[in-house]
Amino acid sequence: MRELELYFGPQHLGMVGNFSITLSVEGDKIVNAASNPGYLHRGFEKLMEYRTWSQNFPLVCRINVIEPDSMEMVYAMAVEKLANIEVPERAEFIRSIYLELARIGSHLFGLWAYANMLGFDTVAQWAMYHRDIILDLFEELTGARVYHIYINPGGVRRDFPKGFKEKIVKTLHSIGGCVPDYNNTFFENRLFYERAHRIGAISQEEAIKYGAVGQPLRATGIAHDIRKVEPYAVYDKVEFDVPIRENGDAHSRILIVRDEMIESVHMIFKLLDMMPEGEVWNRTPNPFKWNIPEGECYVRVESSRGELGLYLVSDGGDKPYRAHFRTPSYTHGLVILEKVLRGANISDVGNIMISLYVIAPEIDR
Amino acid sequence: MDRNKISKWLKGPAKMGHKYSLSAIYFCTGCGIIEVPPVITARWDAERFGVIPVASPRQANLFLITGYVSLKTLKAIIRTYEQMPDPKYVVGFGSCPINGGMYWDSYNTIKHLDKYIPVDGWIAGCMPRPEAIFIGVTHLWTLIDKDMAKGYVKYREKYESYRKNQEQILGKLEWKPLYPIRRRK
Amino acid sequence: MNKELLTEILATFKKTQGYIEKDNRLFIETKKEIVPALLKYFKDKSFDRLAMVSCVDRINENKLEIIYILTSFCLDNPLNIILKIKISRNEPELDTVIPIFENAEPYEREIHELFGVDFIGHPRLTPLFLEREYEIPPFRKDFDMRKYSEELFDSVPFVGDEK
Ligand code: SF4
Repeated sequence: MRELELYFGPQHLGMVGNFSITLSVEGDKIVNAASNPGYLHRGFEKLMEYRTWSQNFPLVCRINVIEPDSMEMVYAMAVEKLANIEVPERAEFIRSIYLELARIGSHLFGLWAYANMLGFDTVAQWAMYHRDIILDLFEELTGARVYHIYINPGGVRRDFPKGFKEKIVKTLHSIGGCVPDYNNTFFENRLFYERAHRIGAISQEEAIKYGAVGQPLRATGIAHDIRKVEPYAVYDKVEFDVPIRENGDAHSRILIVRDEMIESVHMIFKLLDMMPEGEVWNRTPNPFKWNIPEGECYVRVESSRGELGLYLVSDGGDKPYRAHFRTPSYTHGLVILEKVLRGANISDVGNIMISLYVIAPEIDR
Repeated sequence: MDRNKISKWLKGPAKMGHKYSLSAIYFCTGCGIIEVPPVITARWDAERFGVIPVASPRQANLFLITGYVSLKTLKAIIRTYEQMPDPKYVVGFGSCPINGGMYWDSYNTIKHLDKYIPVDGWIAGCMPRPEAIFIGVTHLWTLIDKDMAKGYVKYREKYESYRKNQEQILGKLEWKPLYPIRRRK
Repeated sequence: MNKELLTEILATFKKTQGYIEKDNRLFIETKKEIVPALLKYFKDKSFDRLAMVSCVDRINENKLEIIYILTSFCLDNPLNIILKIKISRNEPELDTVIPIFENAEPYEREIHELFGVDFIGHPRLTPLFLEREYEIPPFRKDFDMRKYSEELFDSVPFVGDEK
């Protein structure tokens, strides 16, 4: 059969986000795949060199739309490290709770995309609704639905409003109450198993070879999680599990997403109980005259999709000299996706791509 | 009976059809796309306003440009726009398509979308809330009623200028012009 | 344990300096010829994960700095190795590290595109993100982004404005 070149995306049914793949197909078998990013390239890291340290906060969170909060966190951590700023303990607790809430929201969005693509529309609607009530929490805390710009160097922007703890508990209970429904209709449903089982499988050796992080790595049985390996915020003070699976296929990856959400909910409850009183922000100097000493650092956090790193260089001025984000989707979308697609069917492209949690703006930056 | 009159009578119902069945093409352009899934699902339910997402540009008549437009995307947007049948409406969502927004000095995002394709309405904000989409849609209704959402007519009339702008920024376009281009002497 | 690793590296490889920062960061500066051997050495020491390849334009020294960051898949090893080399800015050339770490491929492609570094032996140095051609690669410090974008985008007229 003749080989044929097929452009998949950016405006395409099975494509979530502005991304495209060039497929060489033989019949409906994929012989070769080449990712083609750049539809969302804005030159973020260049833009950051033109803006002051605090002006960059609204900018960094826009690198990733699904979970802007881990972006803020990694940038704040890098700035704190370069400028040697201490963070009050209560602020660290608030940050952890905030990041875990964001993780749940992001996973629910991922679940929406995945369930929608597999044809489980009911579950998709639920997931989107539940994400929305988490966004309501964010709105009360920070004043914005999607981009919160809540983490400041030296702490967080404001303390919890009155009665906010109870609200978090209530919201999480109402979502947690639906877990059996989710299980029955989706996660433990035979159809989901049939549609996702053995799709896009990677073995442990491959995952290591290609440098996978996050769910694709944990689905092959390695419990690698930055929150455990190199704890930041208060993750060393709270107990939690890192869910793993063995099969390495789409089915395992999505089940890990569910388990992580449940784990996050438990963690938030624990953190709320342990939270101390006190200050939430150590004042930083006047942002217009804020020079950060010369140096460079690499910091990393565990975002909802895996390790998120930032290499930040300062030359002693009021603007970053160079910033480079190491985003989890980068290797997933540009290396692993290409390898996994080879030999798959055309109908599985969306399935593989969404289960690898590839988010286009993060790749392009 | 006078033929002209019939077309006049039919104008009202046709407009109503255009107004209340806006099929938005599902094209993820920028970060604004994150507000579209909530809008089309249970919580905000855009179908109350007759807006449903469709996958193919051939079925669509509303094009929501949800955010910053990089040069590579601009190409895709123009292609998609030209594939949509008349009448078609374009709404810019967020401040990035209006004037560049926070990427006003970026080297890879265009600053004014209406230099390249005609835009019928803008929704300002960085990121606008879901309610803003609905307000935008109701404004679009008024515009359609008053015969003011005529971007597609403008595109046909001024196609030469649009094509020239597009080629100025993207280089030679590899597809044929949608409308014939008159040669200038 | 980290100290021992550092002494061993300094003993094995010539022309190499290094120091450890308190929070598990090992900075190493070396020459570009040594990089493949050093990366292989680390890979055998179970630092088998290339987190990223980055580039910094040190325009004052007229050098480009290439940075490799290595971490480990082991769960109890939080050490991050940050390997830095400097190459000439006028003729930036470097051997690819894809044979050692496969996931370096897009990073090198990106650096080629945004900084203009040539990676010898890279299978496809095609454009990754950009649509236009740039005289100076856009991430270099002497590329004036504001001037460029003003010139490029403001020169396009509004439709209907032109006579
Ligand atoms: S207006 Fe704001 S939210 Fe919308 S695309 Fe631009 S930066 Fe993103």
